[in-house]
Amino acid sequence: MGINAKTISDNELFFGHKACAGCGGALAVRAALKVLGPQAIAALPAGCMSATGFNFPDLCFANNAMITPFAATASVITGIEAGLRAQGRKPDDATVVGFAGDGGTADIGLQALSGAIDRNDDVLYICYDNEAYMNTGIQKSSLTPFGARTTTTPAGSHHRGCLTQKKNMFEIVAAHGIPYAATASVGYLNDFMRKVKHAASIHGTKYIHVIAPCPTGWGYGVDATVEIAREIVDCGLWYLAEYEQGSFTLNRNPTEFASVEQYLKHQGRFKHLQDEDIASIEQQRDAKWEYMRDCWTAPSRA
Amino acid sequence: MIEFLWHGRGGQGAFTAARLLGAAASTSKGTYALAFPSFGPERRGAPMRAFTKIADRPIGDRSAVTQADYVIYLDETLLQVPSCFDELKPGGIILVNAQRTWDDDRIISIDADGISQQCLGRPFPNTACLAALTACDLSVSLDQVKDAFCAYMPKKLHKGNVSVMDATVQAMKESLVLSSHHGTLPHADTNDANASSKELCDAGDLDFASDGSASSEQVPTASNAVTHANDARALSSIDTDSPHRRPQIIPQLTTDTIAPVDYAHSTCYKGGHLTVRNAGWRNQRPIIDAAACTGCLQCYLYCPDGTIFKTTDEFRSQASDACAVAIDYDFCKGCGICAHMCKAHAISMVPEKEVTSR
Repeated sequence: MGINAKTISDNELFFGHKACAGCGGALAVRAALKVLGPQAIAALPAGCMSATGFNFPDLCFANNAMITPFAATASVITGIEAGLRAQGRKPDDATVVGFAGDGGTADIGLQALSGAIDRNDDVLYICYDNEAYMNTGIQKSSLTPFGARTTTTPAGSHHRGCLTQKKNMFEIVAAHGIPYAATASVGYLNDFMRKVKHAASIHGTKYIHVIAPCPTGWGYGVDATVEIAREIVDCGLWYLAEYEQGSFTLNRNPTEFASVEQYLKHQGRFKHLQDEDIASIEQQRDAKWEYMRDCWTAPSRA
Repeated sequence: MIEFLWHGRGGQGAFTAARLLGAAASTSKGTYALAFPSFGPERRGAPMRAFTKIADRPIGDRSAVTQADYVIYLDETLLQVPSCFDELKPGGIILVNAQRTWDDDRIISIDADGISQQCLGRPFPNTACLAALTACDLSVSLDQVKDAFCAYMPKKLHKGNVSVMDATVQAMKESLVLSSHHGTLPHADTNDANASSKELCDAGDLDFASDGSASSEQVPTASNAVTHANDARALSSIDTDSPHRRPQIIPQLTTDTIAPVDYAHSTCYKGGHLTVRNAGWRNQRPIIDAAACTGCLQCYLYCPDGTIFKTTDEFRSQASDACAVAIDYDFCKGCGICAHMCKAHAISMVPEKEVTSR
């Protein structure tokens, strides 16, 4: 049976949190925990979801959950899993899951994640990617896309926002030979939840990279989070894919992309981009898709 | 020492205003000021506080202001009558960003959003409230506030915000001309405020409208007073007694002896899991039109806060206006994603002000 709004658990396991209205990261954590269930044990490094989820005396997780040092998400979930196993207490359906942001994954927590994948520890690592250090006030991370304005990559008459390209985390993780890795977007929750469920059924390290738009940092209305999360997929700047048993699969292979310009212009962080910047972003996108269509298994275009 | 307590929402600029007020005051010779905010890990839209202290000697007390001479509300949905008066020193003034008025001499309304909308095209209530304060408390002059603004804020903001300040003060002056004063306001520690400030402070039930005219007579008529009293009651009871909430349909756990894995069968927990509601940071609320709802559950699926829940068959059979989902207003932040996701257009976003004054 497919996972959708009708079949998911009624339990709200991440509830009452203090995230901004319209938070994409909170939506990702909520949806993932609905799939993993109350037995799952969560660990979160410094970031929005830990800052807004653990407010003594309130705990917004119904699951067991803890905050880790910034760099140590993957190490801590490794330790939790090993500890439960050593005590013979790990319930069969308990997934040990880490939720880290883009900075906590691609910058600060990268070596710990790499180590966990190397050891093939039985953990699920979910990166909710809002494309900058939002918790501390919108500083660039290595997952900030080209052209985005952040407080550390300002846009003005001499600067055009972020000068670097988004780090290719999905393929970096896949290059480890990880049992399962996937990309997702909170705009397509059924796809994301299916991947979470599939990941939980696999033994070994699993990685899911989910795009989670941030109204505060991206500069759009709080009601547009899901729409933006869909647009980024529809315009081809993000892709839904899986890596399993050594091969890549594209889940969606659109015949025509939606407008990149429209996606960019919906957001304050891209307002300053000139036509040539947008053209260069489209060029990058086309090159990426050409590679994916050539080298990965792809469904026929639809 | 004159103390100011600012209530606002994350993003409204309460701390900026508190800081600018302190900066303006400190430009007078022999005047000292302190300003600092208070907020938790909450984000944009969450209620927060900021404080300004002004004195004629260095200020050593860095603790939060619990009772202030002036309490400023940048968002009227944060104002709870009558508990708001607990934070007010005797003779103190509450300044509220609102179009409506209250039947209480201590509460002054100013349509700061309206003035800002007119001058800047966007509702930033902090500058207008700051300017309104200079009319109430003349220990800080409007020119000082303008200078502080220009010294501390980016240049591109200067012109628009100075025009907001002028429009605010103009609106207050015109209101004063229309009003007659009665009595003198006892004011705590007003050694450096002059007589005209006291008179102005006394204009307690004035409503400073955005078009610069006083919108109501100074002394409320009997019918006005009744309306005001009802308004106040509606506002104070918003959190617990709102007819929209229907507490009986929100499944609640009532014991703290339940195992942690069993906590989460509802959207509203007891037993230490959650003790603080989030509803205070919403200024519009989703309302479901049950007749139009098709039960597709997309609002439920995409709610980042999980505040939309499926209703039970039992509930639907009992209530005539029930549909597949209902909303827990104690935790809804009013982001509007549900309304955006609803293909049937069964969810509309209604300003909280309208709901509470009904």
